[in-house]
Amino acid sequence: MATITIDGQEVECRDGVTVLRAALEAGWDVPHYCYHPGMSVVASCRLCLMEMMMPNPQTGEMGWAPKLFPSCQTPVRNGMVVRFDSPKVHAAREQAMEYFLLNHPLDCPVCDQAGECWLQDYSLRFGRGYGRMLEAKHVNPKKNIGPRTLLYQDRCVLCSRCVRFCAEISGTRELCIVNRGHRCEIDVFEGIALDNKLQGNVVDICPVGALLDKDFLMQQRVWELQSAKSICPVCSAGCNIRIDHNRGRVWRLKPRYNDRVNDWWMCDDGRFGYKFIHDPRRLTRPQARRGNRLEPIAWRDVPEVVRFRLMQAVQQHSGQRTAVVLSPMMSCEEAWLLATLIRKAAPEAHLVLGHVPLTGDDEHFPVGCEPGNAKFTIRAEKCPNRRGVERVLKAAGGPTMDFQQFVSQATAGELSAAWVVGGYSNDWVTDELAAAAEKLTWLAVQDFFPSKLCEKADLVLPACSWAEREGSFVNHAGLLQAFDRAVQPPDGAQIDGQYLFELAGLVGVYSGGRVREMMASQDAGFAEVVEATPEPAFAH
Amino acid sequence: MGEPFEPVLLRNAGVADSRSIHTYRARGGYKALRKALEMGPEAIIAEVREANLRGRGGAGFPAGVKWGFLPPDRKVTYLCVNADEAEPCTFNNRVLIEQDPHQLIEGMLIAGLATRTTTAYVYLRVEYHEPFHILQKAVDEAYAAGLLGRNILGSDFSMECIIHRGAGAYVCGEETGLIESIEGKRGWPRIKPPFPAISGLFGKPTVVNNVETLCCLPHIIERGAEWFGSIGTPGSAGPKLYCVSGHVKRPGCYEAPLGLAVRELIEDEQFAQGMRDGRRIKAVNPGGFSVGWLTADELDMKMDFDDPRDYGLLGLGTAAIVVMDDQTDMREVLLNVTRFFAHESCGQCTQCREGTEWMYKVASRLAAGAGRSEDLDLLAEITQTMGMMPGLSICGLSDGAAYAVRSIATKFRAEFKEHIRRQTPGRAEQVMRQTNPALYDRAMGRQTQSAG
Repeated sequence: MATITIDGQEVECRDGVTVLRAALEAGWDVPHYCYHPGMSVVASCRLCLMEMMMPNPQTGEMGWAPKLFPSCQTPVRNGMVVRFDSPKVHAAREQAMEYFLLNHPLDCPVCDQAGECWLQDYSLRFGRGYGRMLEAKHVNPKKNIGPRTLLYQDRCVLCSRCVRFCAEISGTRELCIVNRGHRCEIDVFEGIALDNKLQGNVVDICPVGALLDKDFLMQQRVWELQSAKSICPVCSAGCNIRIDHNRGRVWRLKPRYNDRVNDWWMCDDGRFGYKFIHDPRRLTRPQARRGNRLEPIAWRDVPEVVRFRLMQAVQQHSGQRTAVVLSPMMSCEEAWLLATLIRKAAPEAHLVLGHVPLTGDDEHFPVGCEPGNAKFTIRAEKCPNRRGVERVLKAAGGPTMDFQQFVSQATAGELSAAWVVGGYSNDWVTDELAAAAEKLTWLAVQDFFPSKLCEKADLVLPACSWAEREGSFVNHAGLLQAFDRAVQPPDGAQIDGQYLFELAGLVGVYSGGRVREMMASQDAGFAEVVEATPEPAFAH
Repeated sequence: MGEPFEPVLLRNAGVADSRSIHTYRARGGYKALRKALEMGPEAIIAEVREANLRGRGGAGFPAGVKWGFLPPDRKVTYLCVNADEAEPCTFNNRVLIEQDPHQLIEGMLIAGLATRTTTAYVYLRVEYHEPFHILQKAVDEAYAAGLLGRNILGSDFSMECIIHRGAGAYVCGEETGLIESIEGKRGWPRIKPPFPAISGLFGKPTVVNNVETLCCLPHIIERGAEWFGSIGTPGSAGPKLYCVSGHVKRPGCYEAPLGLAVRELIEDEQFAQGMRDGRRIKAVNPGGFSVGWLTADELDMKMDFDDPRDYGLLGLGTAAIVVMDDQTDMREVLLNVTRFFAHESCGQCTQCREGTEWMYKVASRLAAGAGRSEDLDLLAEITQTMGMMPGLSICGLSDGAAYAVRSIATKFRAEFKEHIRRQTPGRAEQVMRQTNPALYDRAMGRQTQSAG
């Protein structure tokens, strides 16, 4: 621990941090662009300048040094005395803000960043409110630098965060700076586009509106958006994210800081992987088989149908010929509700961990690094909650089998009733599974999209996407992380937790926290929800 | 000045075949190296410290002290020879390399010996095509003669020498910009600390010395620190090459002790021999663009490491004296200077990147006869907020730009005012609106109001 004095106040800070970091953590509002806690320090924006007490070289007396120091580059030393609140520092900031806006087009009305722009914020807080350059602005070009990203160089403040991100985090080094002086531009090398799986992060870390996401371009004004804390469901990494939504629609996903999981980053697979939510083909209503046809039924009839038909199947064929497939796309709460329900009705029924999609190997970043040194990893396991469902199965006890066994036993005619939960964002039903389903006398399917399996089902229930649900996932490392609901499910659909709640005979409105309390009585591990470390406000 | 100065650094200049190793040796070359090999690193550093050899690149940092910053337990040391010579109107390194390349190699070897250098990189200005070939030939000769490479002159000292040509950036004359450039990167100066002595080229301890600094070394070793100290003034010892150019009768590179008055260098018969065509002096730039400018009344300034500060200049700089006669339009001078810095700012630090360009825009307008008297205050303010206060940028380029512009805009303010007074009224607004239509929406003082 070191103790330093900032603006006359003593501040305790960790050893080895820079003065900027210490000041920001202690609540000082120090402007900065190039500094990002996740990347190397370049000290080039010269906005976080401070004054420092130094001994006078002649007399040895302590006094304010005539020089300004970049606080992002100055490590703390015990007993150090610095100040940000001084006329010299204020003047330097004011002037720096004028410089930043000198060639900036001031096109806030058409800029996506407006509302969350650090040029706007700092101009307001530290700027002067007017510029004195009368000549025409130098206009740097707008460029298409990759399949998903645009660069409006005229808005750029050359903090070089994006360049450092590609060099230090993704390791793909597509971006560079070309030209000199005010003609400096961020650019890609000829023939190489900004096209890596982490590239979306450069848009997040751009403090201004220079790097733009084509997907979000001109879609929404950011002040209209509401945010929900969530966990990315695309792979088992469990990246902490924020869902930005407005009027029932998800517009973009942004990473949330969590130093145990994803730091400041998320991958493009996750970032753009939410589009299936608004797919018009998705199932929205419960359906039951009447003769050869599936016909819509009312939600209030569902418990009746399930209880009656499932119990009938259990009684007719003994519980051993019944299997329930819990999808790794389910939250822990939903899996627990369903497992508990089944265990009550048929203690000898088989509980099955559903299909776990795998794609290739884990991808570590920076590209080519040893897994141990990775700064970011995209997991091969493309589902959010395998470990959570496994934990639920363990807590529920009783007979279990794996998914492959389920398919082969069903194919062999050893099973007569099954309840299969899907919820995948793609068509996951294999021909083998569809053929196996033929052999079942009663089949309930809960899924997201209509599939070959639904065609064979006696009861079809629509699943909701994670953005419409709340609950928790256990990531690859065993961390239990809760996520909130962002948007309402489409008309006709009901969130999975709610009807499972009702099926289980519980009264009231489903809430993830309430179910987790019940779960914790069975397995105390379910009480240990990992909260993301509060994101330092300065990590913009 | 009385007696002509006996040339030291230019001892071999003008001698027939002065570039060859044979001529250099015949005239006493490489004797200092043998002596240095006997002395050993400690004694060399002590001698150079005693001689108070200050860096000739511009900043004047004592070379012996700089070497002392190297960590004692290092395995690899690099020596970077700064031959980028990018300061406008400076050409003394060129003369030294063209006339006497072996003197530089001997200086490099002595510095290398003192710092236990394993490889020396000569960072050569790319425009210097002929000096490159001359120096490369001399390096080859030195390798053939066993003066470079393994076990130099039979000792256990080994040093390689590589000539690395730049790509035409002024900022690569800054020592960390130079290091980045040798590493094959963009020539963006590094943040310090760590200083190059701790972590420089390829992350190893590195010394960066100017060509002229190194060329002094053989003479210091051979003739001693006391002799070296007897030349020049107490704080600024030794011989110096002055590059005099501009509207003088005899422009050229002259050797003389440090501490001569500017007037002497311009008017003395040994040096530039006064003004061309009987003109009067208007302005003098005594050390490369970045130190600033003197008026005709300030020619008594001594060319040493301390006196220029009293005249509002940044320092001695490269001691390249550019003389302007009374026909020179200072608006054009300002335009030229601001264009140079706007073109050469590397773009890393905000204040320098934007400030240099802004000054160029203002200077262009002044030169086009569309100035306002506020522009002079504005220029002075920009210089204050982009460079005069240290700490606003990573390297000294913005300081140099600020000193240059500030001295022109303040010392020649009356001339600028006079030009503005003679302009057609409203010209500034008219011209600005032609280039920036946005200004139609903006009130710009009395004239705008009467027009609107």
